[in-house]
Amino acid sequence: MKVESFCSFFQNQESSKVTRRNTRSSSSVTVENPEPNESHQPTVDDLTFGEESITLDALLSDFPGRRSQILDLIRLIGPLDCPSFPIMVYGDASTGKTSVVLQVFRHLNRPFVYSSCRTCYSPRLLFESVLNQLLLHSKCSSNGYSSAKRCDKPSDFVNLLRQALSNVMETLDSKSGTSRSSKPDGKPVGKMVYLILDHVDLIKEWEKGTMILQFLFSLYSVLKMPQLGIILISGLPPDVYYSNMGYTDPIPVYFPVYSQEELHQIFLRNQANRDLYSAFLDSVLKPFCRVTRRVDELSTTISSLFRKYCEPLDDLGLSPSEDLKRRLYNQLKPLIAPCLNEIFRVSSRPNDGDNRGERRQKASCSSENREEVEKLDFHMSTSAKYLLIAAFLASRNPATLDASMFDSTGGMDNRKRKRKASEKSMEKKEIAEQEAVMKGPGSFPLERLLAIFQCIASVGDSSFGEEEEGKEEEEEEEEATGYDRENNNLMSDVLLQVSSLCDANFITKSGSCPLEGSVRYRSMVSEDLALKVARSLRFPLSKYLYRR
Amino acid sequence: MGKENPAEKALNLIRGRLCDPTFVFRPLSVSSDSNYSKLKFIVSTSITEGCNNSILLLGPRGSGKAAVLDLVIGDLLEEYPDSVSVIRLNGLLHSDDNCAFKEIARQLCMEHHLLFSKMASFDENSQFIIAMLRECGLAHKTVIFVLDEFDMFAQGKQRLLYSLLDAMQSVTSQAVVVGISSRLDADQLLEKRVRSRFSHRKILFLPPSREEFDSLLEHLLSLPSDSSFPSGYVSQFNEKIKSIISDTRFKNMLKTFFNANSTVNSLLKYMLSLDVRFRAVSLMNLESGLLSLENFKAALSSLQRQPKLEAVKDCSIVELYLLVCMRRLEVKEQSSYNFISVMKEYKTIHDSFQTSDYYAQNVCLRAFEHLKERAVICYAENRGQFQTGEYRPMKLLISASELHQGMRSHACCPAMLLKLLDH
Repeated sequence: MKVESFCSFFQNQESSKVTRRNTRSSSSVTVENPEPNESHQPTVDDLTFGEESITLDALLSDFPGRRSQILDLIRLIGPLDCPSFPIMVYGDASTGKTSVVLQVFRHLNRPFVYSSCRTCYSPRLLFESVLNQLLLHSKCSSNGYSSAKRCDKPSDFVNLLRQALSNVMETLDSKSGTSRSSKPDGKPVGKMVYLILDHVDLIKEWEKGTMILQFLFSLYSVLKMPQLGIILISGLPPDVYYSNMGYTDPIPVYFPVYSQEELHQIFLRNQANRDLYSAFLDSVLKPFCRVTRRVDELSTTISSLFRKYCEPLDDLGLSPSEDLKRRLYNQLKPLIAPCLNEIFRVSSRPNDGDNRGERRQKASCSSENREEVEKLDFHMSTSAKYLLIAAFLASRNPATLDASMFDSTGGMDNRKRKRKASEKSMEKKEIAEQEAVMKGPGSFPLERLLAIFQCIASVGDSSFGEEEEGKEEEEEEEEATGYDRENNNLMSDVLLQVSSLCDANFITKSGSCPLEGSVRYRSMVSEDLALKVARSLRFPLSKYLYRR
Repeated sequence: MGKENPAEKALNLIRGRLCDPTFVFRPLSVSSDSNYSKLKFIVSTSITEGCNNSILLLGPRGSGKAAVLDLVIGDLLEEYPDSVSVIRLNGLLHSDDNCAFKEIARQLCMEHHLLFSKMASFDENSQFIIAMLRECGLAHKTVIFVLDEFDMFAQGKQRLLYSLLDAMQSVTSQAVVVGISSRLDADQLLEKRVRSRFSHRKILFLPPSREEFDSLLEHLLSLPSDSSFPSGYVSQFNEKIKSIISDTRFKNMLKTFFNANSTVNSLLKYMLSLDVRFRAVSLMNLESGLLSLENFKAALSSLQRQPKLEAVKDCSIVELYLLVCMRRLEVKEQSSYNFISVMKEYKTIHDSFQTSDYYAQNVCLRAFEHLKERAVICYAENRGQFQTGEYRPMKLLISASELHQGMRSHACCPAMLLKLLDH
């Protein structure tokens, strides 16, 4: 699979030359010594990919569906020692931009410098990372993990870059003059260095990001060094970067999202039993492609589904007959639809394919069996549940209605509203509804939350007193005297509960009210979850929810 | 092999030419009334007569201001090797005064083999520069300051411009300040005290005319006859280029390219058109060894991308549903909408049409985030960051027609969605 190549996204390419090259390759899985060899003296050779270069055919077969992009890139980069204009590789996430570019350089076997704006999250880190690589400097304990040069301004970067580049050019020049015995495969290295900057779109979010972007886009014309080829990799199309400053346009190379057939080929790579997997993909890929066509998102779900698919099989090596395929498909079919809705869920356990299926099955048959739904997927104390509901109510209901909602003297009965069916009022209602949706959940002070909490906790107990856990709370009204009683545990560490709910992001703090000066809270729970929690407490939530 | 070799060599040669701005602009500067000769005249008289001068080069981006200046400076350095020194600053890098002074001091030190101190203060640097200017004036050495992105220096207090131009008011100094800017009103940005010290010389750079352009094309693409190419190949190659350039189809193609481009971004057209050549060269097929009209066409189409359409084509079905929902909300003249209201619309669509693509909210939320990542949609305002993403108002970044066109060319867009988009 292509998953290995995704690791390279997250690798800090600076750690050491040796590991860098290893982790990048998508073919070799073994990682040798992770610590840089002390005796290893970095040379210019380390600027190339560092492994045996691959042939064009191998490169093309490594990336199904990327043929025209690879050929385009190679043509644009040009033959050996040929100057080139800046190139911008762009396309959606997980379309193989980084891997293709790096593998192309492996194929060409030319020196390059790779820095990702994901790991180098500030101009200084980015500049220093580029310079470190050019100056063949690796951070290690002996130099206190410091960079070769301190550099945080673009102007300094240009000067240092010029210097470093001319040094590298000199060594490259002298190398190309002498015999190339040091290269194992005798392939030429050339007299150019390429600068590959990944995730350029992230710079937009940086402080003064537009300035840095303009600088990077005009770096080619500022430097005036044709020996430096620049390749920018971006997730966003070039039109996003237009500003009133302008720049010389880099040449765009577009990586479209993989089509279904291409995905089929990608997933089929490195599979032991191709026939079986192909049959599996035939049945699975189509519905999933409607949701997403990203390889990284698909690969996790599909691999766990394949495990389910293979479950009835004893021998994974056999090639399936038509009949078997059909049987397996029928078995898998009910699992696909729920999995579609699970596709983005990050599982907390690595191998919970089975678990998940079970839970889903439970949920799917819940329509008949209501009891099972009342179990929550996570554990929560009773008081926390009440608090959650109280917060939900406080966010959804207008504060002015609290009295009529929670007044035990029957305020609920005078909730009759005059209904005018006139068109104007309907229109108004619609607008109000829209506004409510736009505003999202409202905010509330802590006092209101606690008041509602007390009310609903008492109501929950009086109306459902037969419950075991509710029993102790019948004397809620006398709570002032009952500090030693068990039921007051529900009240005593309420603030602690509130803060833990805040930590769990069920409730968020939302800035202080300018008039009152106290912190206001906001409930972030969806209605579904609130209803679920209420059901688990047998609390009649809908009775208290104000509907416009 | 014998046939392939010259083609590849020709390709490398042309590529090298394209990346070399001096080669590109050399032919445009031969005539006596060209910007090149004007600029050269001004600078060389101030060198020979030992006077101060300041010039602004104005023109759209990519019209060759910096390249022509480089040509001039290169020639002058050859003519007067001992009496010219060049200091280059770029507004992108040195718009900060402190930084600019430091850079000037550094370059002066480099030029005159002096020791540069990084720790020098702003004051020390500016004193050093003025002293150096005086020394250079006494030694009859002209310092040429090249200020690229001149308008960037006009931001802030303009201390750099003031002190440079003020130093030039004295008799002893001998310097030329050349500003390069794509803002035609660059001199209006100057403060009064700076403007009064500035000699209002401006040279305007215009994009080349069609005739100039054609001759430039020929200049760029035709092979020299005195090189190591087989002679038959050179004449064949050049004939082919000539026939392509005079071809009306090619002329029309160029015209449409110019028309489209001047509306979208007229500033970039010249450089872009060079890029087109570049692509054509890249796609030149090595078998015949000759450029063909098809090469130019292919290069043009590969360059004229429509990123928004591509983005729509990249969308999955769920994402398309969301886009259609947002579009429908816009048609309904709902002033603003967020994820929750989009989901509501999605549900009503599902309820009334019973589509097969109805997914859970978390899937849709993820699809929503994908769209945001791809800059197809974005938050309508920066306020309200305390809200979670679902409630923040959104807006579409593509027009209805783009969406329509993109969905039409989408590989597997359901027909129903297109219908939903229309009403």
